[in-house]
Amino acid sequence: MTTPYDPSGVHPVIGVDAGTTTLREADHLIRDLTTTLGLPPGTVACTHLIRTEGRRGTAVSFALPENGSVEEVWRRLTATEMGAALDDRRHGPAGAAAAAAAEHAARRSGRAVLFPGSDQLTGTLTVADLLQLSAVDRVIVVGATSGDSPDPVIPVQTQDHVRPEWREGQLVLALVPAAGNTLAPFEVPNPTPCCADHP
Amino acid sequence: MSHGHSHGDHGHHHHHHHGDGDTSSLPPALDTSVPDAELTPSQLSRRGMLRRTGLLGAGLAAGGVLAGAGEAAASAQQAAQQQAAQQQAAKSSKGNGRYLWLAGDHHIHTQYSSDAKYRVIDHVRQANAHGLDWMVITDHGSVAHAKIGVEKVNPDIVEAREKTDDTLVFQGLEWNIPGAEHGTVFVHPGSNEVAVLKEFENSFDGSVKNASGNSPANEALAIAGVNFLADQVRRRKVKDALFLANHPARKGIDSPHEIRGWRDAQPSIAVGMEGAPGHQAGGIPKPNGPGGGRGIYDGSPSADSFPGYPLESYRTWGGFDWMTSTVGGLWDSLLAEGKPWWITANSDSHNVYADTAVRGPGGDFNANGRYEDPVYGTGISLTDTDFWPGQYSRTHVGASSFAYKAVMDGIRAGRVWVDHGGLISGLDARLSYGGREVTLGGALHVRRGAQVDLTIKISLSNGPNWAQFQPTLARVDVIQGDVTGPVTDKDTFATPKTKVVKSFEVNKSTGTVRLTYSLGRLDKPVYVRLRGTDGNRSAVGINGAAVDPVGPAMDVLGDADPWKDLWFYSNPMWVLPA
Repeated sequence: MTTPYDPSGVHPVIGVDAGTTTLREADHLIRDLTTTLGLPPGTVACTHLIRTEGRRGTAVSFALPENGSVEEVWRRLTATEMGAALDDRRHGPAGAAAAAAAEHAARRSGRAVLFPGSDQLTGTLTVADLLQLSAVDRVIVVGATSGDSPDPVIPVQTQDHVRPEWREGQLVLALVPAAGNTLAPFEVPNPTPCCADHP
Repeated sequence: MSHGHSHGDHGHHHHHHHGDGDTSSLPPALDTSVPDAELTPSQLSRRGMLRRTGLLGAGLAAGGVLAGAGEAAASAQQAAQQQAAQQQAAKSSKGNGRYLWLAGDHHIHTQYSSDAKYRVIDHVRQANAHGLDWMVITDHGSVAHAKIGVEKVNPDIVEAREKTDDTLVFQGLEWNIPGAEHGTVFVHPGSNEVAVLKEFENSFDGSVKNASGNSPANEALAIAGVNFLADQVRRRKVKDALFLANHPARKGIDSPHEIRGWRDAQPSIAVGMEGAPGHQAGGIPKPNGPGGGRGIYDGSPSADSFPGYPLESYRTWGGFDWMTSTVGGLWDSLLAEGKPWWITANSDSHNVYADTAVRGPGGDFNANGRYEDPVYGTGISLTDTDFWPGQYSRTHVGASSFAYKAVMDGIRAGRVWVDHGGLISGLDARLSYGGREVTLGGALHVRRGAQVDLTIKISLSNGPNWAQFQPTLARVDVIQGDVTGPVTDKDTFATPKTKVVKSFEVNKSTGTVRLTYSLGRLDKPVYVRLRGTDGNRSAVGINGAAVDPVGPAMDVLGDADPWKDLWFYSNPMWVLPA
């Protein structure tokens, strides 16, 4: 999918901090809020790592496709106790929410969970199809120290878990070599948890 | 017992069986005065392994004869201190500066860990059969372990020491480092070994203290823990203690400044990290293996991870941690400071790949601090990720004698090299100038402009490994870097002046090879370290072909058979011109 040039600030971006710690929790939060806030199709939803002294964890952000639904989404959100930010408006403990919204709006960072075409990225499909079907602008191959870019016909095993990130205005998907001369997203759906603490 | 010692007293004042340096304490397999016919089958097997290295008998102890007094370069004062310690060790042992190279593993879990299952004796028997001379039992720090396990495991360890007198068994624990990853903490055996470990765990374990998250307070608690260990040694509560960081890049949460912080707080206690993590069977492809990550390195950045680390750091490279495998990377940036920081390779054995044992039924881990003894299961565990101690990963330590203290001193001195899959069986590397020389971990003091030579003697695999094939050493790389002194930015994880300076094609699996390389006339401090491979899998290094043209390749999740990608790494030696 070719994404038209989209200068920052054209789409309203709402940041939310529900106190989540992990990316997994933030992914669930996005799924929940998509329903409870009634987010319109075409919304780009991202997670953000918050690493400030006062808050270590994850926040989320939503770039809405148009202005029409913003006020209703904001109204529903501010009926909760979650921290929220929209432009200059703040609700609750909104520091992390504001940071998330600002990063997403500027397309500097943010790990996209929902984005145009994300529901198409399941099973195995080629690099070319992945770029064609979704808003992902570019793929990179981590560990490909030769610097070559991947052949468009190489299959990508999505594992139904594709999380591109905003980097300098582009939605970039990090891939890694996978078994059988294929590629797979760098991020795996269920990484091995830390062993020690949980019998 | 074969040592002729009396072992009647195993009470509170239990003494370990192995002397502190007298050759009479050599285990029978190492003692050439004991004929083959008098050895048990297991001892004979161990002797056979040593013969293969070419190191039994006169050549048993390879290693450096150390240099005389030299002037310490300001940028490498600690390296110089290490050298002094080495000289001391050499003098106090057998007078000829030779070392026993003792294979070991400092990262092993038992039924006293909530995610493991074996008895202590299961691991000790396996380690012994797989040729290990020393090992550390490192159950996870936890509330249950601090309350129960740390004490209950001790009689099992003491009994294992008695039953298996040619493998030294240390008690340690796997510390949840506050604000960071896990680490091995272990102490010299003695009457206070449990008390010191228990107090340490109760006071400084990130899980016990709920201090795992990344914060300045938790980072300070970690430093306090390292200081506590040093204090216990200073007050002679225990004879010695060491700390090594485990799987340091796995989750990106050991920041460079934390590693430097531990090292600089207590350089004689915090001495290194796993160059290669355990869980090496994790990458064996499905359906015959777990089909996951080698080392179980399959993570991504989190809120607690260091933001500067690239995605490349979350995977292993040729089975090694990115901090170590990257030429010019984090480890080199530490060595370029002229300060010691050593690497090891261990099993992290919890549940062994293709084993048939399962956790014993019944019991209550939280109430008892342990699982019931394992029992025979009816299947084969193809989804487990670990090897037995010594089966795949080995940490070889140059020790002045077969003794607990000598192993700890050898680790502290950096007389350490590591291998996977029995790629080689012996490594004797020396830097020399005139009649003086140093071995791994040492610092050679020379006049400015002196001609310094590197000599490497490698005993090839010379026999099958534990996958029953004989590995071939394809290539050996000499990696050299400038010592540029302490960094101002403690989060530095790169150094520009380190690269592969020489590669030797070897392509042999039997006998020994002798390689030489001249470092030329040196007018500035440098270090060299070695790396070798079976040549099966390689790629241009992360810092480009000019730095590392044929380095390890990033391991592929689900397609990383560890037996098909073998490497060895040595620790560094320094040259300090003055």
